[in-house]
Amino acid sequence: MATSVTAPMVGKILRIEANPGQAVEEDDVVIVMEAMKMEIPVVAPANGTVKAIHVEVGQSVEAGEDLAEIE
Amino acid sequence: MADETETPDNKTPEQKLAALEARVLAGDAQAVDKQHGEGKLTARERIDRLVDPGSFTEEFMLAETQCTDFGMAERRQPTDGVVCGFARIDGRPVYLFAQDRTVLAGAVGSAHAEKIANGIRTARSLGMPCIGLYDSVGARIQEGLSVTAAIGEIFFENSIASGAIPQISAVMGPCIGVASYSPALTDFILMVRGTSQMFITGPPVIKEVLGEEVTMEELGGVRIHSEVSGVADLVSADDEACLAQIRELLEFLPANCNEAPPRRDTDDDPERRLDGIEELVPDDKRKPYDIVKVIRAVVDGGEFLELKRRFARNLVIGFGRLDGHPVGFVANQPMFLAGSLDVDASDKAARFIRFCDAFNIPIVTLMDVPGFFPGRQQEEQGIIRHGAKMLYAYAEATVPKITIVLRKGYGGAKQAMCTREMGADQLWLWPGVELAVMGGGGAVNVLYRREIAASDDPERTRREKMAEFNERFNGPFEALSKQFSQTAIQPADTRARLILALALLRQKKENRPAKKHGVMPV
Repeated sequence: MATSVTAPMVGKILRIEANPGQAVEEDDVVIVMEAMKMEIPVVAPANGTVKAIHVEVGQSVEAGEDLAEIE
Repeated sequence: MADETETPDNKTPEQKLAALEARVLAGDAQAVDKQHGEGKLTARERIDRLVDPGSFTEEFMLAETQCTDFGMAERRQPTDGVVCGFARIDGRPVYLFAQDRTVLAGAVGSAHAEKIANGIRTARSLGMPCIGLYDSVGARIQEGLSVTAAIGEIFFENSIASGAIPQISAVMGPCIGVASYSPALTDFILMVRGTSQMFITGPPVIKEVLGEEVTMEELGGVRIHSEVSGVADLVSADDEACLAQIRELLEFLPANCNEAPPRRDTDDDPERRLDGIEELVPDDKRKPYDIVKVIRAVVDGGEFLELKRRFARNLVIGFGRLDGHPVGFVANQPMFLAGSLDVDASDKAARFIRFCDAFNIPIVTLMDVPGFFPGRQQEEQGIIRHGAKMLYAYAEATVPKITIVLRKGYGGAKQAMCTREMGADQLWLWPGVELAVMGGGGAVNVLYRREIAASDDPERTRREKMAEFNERFNGPFEALSKQFSQTAIQPADTRARLILALALLRQKKENRPAKKHGVMPV
């Protein structure tokens, strides 16, 4: 079952910490955003493999936007 | 029961009673197998594993429903589907009730509900914690209004006991419909992954009214209540782990509101310096870190019982000990939403603060807050009302309150994390703090708008003003000069300072104006 990794808030993509094909555990950091002058880690909601990353570094994202997919 | 009448008359009442009690204790083998097949323990097995060996004294074992409608006269059974009584846990008295799925499916009839309501009332009058283990198919509809009235009695007793004795609810099976409000009126809800469900309206009603298909697990399983609704405080993998959590939780709590929480002996040095704690908290204020690691470094033996761990993760609550004494921690979590305060975080904090205050547990607040989480959604959800209850809960609390600012505190969110003016007995600063009405960038744009606009090089002027601003507000100096804080402390001394101060604050007595009760924003 695929699970979406979504942006918790409006912000900018600062770093991508996991690549497609990579195994991740629940709460591993997948993407780091920047918002409220802080780095905001976005974590995997479940154990699995990164299936896709939908964003690029520097891109602005809305709250709730899909950033990546874990399978 | 039907076979009782077949007992030969030459048996004495003593013999009949003994046989009946033995049969109740043995239970219905088929129903017991079914319960085990679902990966669950029976009510009696749960009690056995929860309490000190041999300490359980059952009462109202032979209570039965008095309902005779819809064939209930033939189907009634002793206990009426709930096991109630006194026990000891770690030597301390408790009252407990456990719904028994192997008797009438644990359905709540009026006798069943009266036993629970009586148990809560008894626990309150004797000043001991009340523990409920829930596992029931729901209300026994054959009993009509008698059953809803008796359930209402449970809600009333839960509400009246609130703040007088700790009430702990372990939902170890379904707890559905209006019955979910009984745990909801208690202090803590524990759930078991895969077997616990709580919801008000079930899948059939939802299908009928809204046409939506939804499973019981999607509607009210562990995931919903531990991550989204915030109903569950603790989650476990199975019954055994859930019962262990009840015991762990009880160790932090006094028996009632007139007692101090129990001290536990510790080998951890009260003067232990927190070597390396600075490495857990990056100087760069843009960098996140895990506040739970900081709390674990501070408390005795690294033991911290975090509550509602996956709900409103931008704020952490839970119990730890300092020199053996239980302490409630409230802390911003920079790992999530920059540690800002939102509707759910305020809700989570306010309820916990009030629990600690009701049961004489000192509160240590660790502040590192960039502000309230901005946005239209938060305003629509009522961040004004919810943020207000955090302020209210802190101001109302008369237990010892110590706040430490680790890195930053901006705007009104500072007050929501308990400043001196909000009633903190002590407010301390780590030396690198940044405290201001708002962040440097925003402040400079407002304060120097004209100068920046009139400048030949607005960007340079802005940078200069920003540097001036940061120079002024960086560090603890303004806050110390204006008595916002009693003192700055070295991070490594955090544990020793807290233990020293909490020992002095144990004699704190604070009286408030007499009134019926305040009107908390909820």
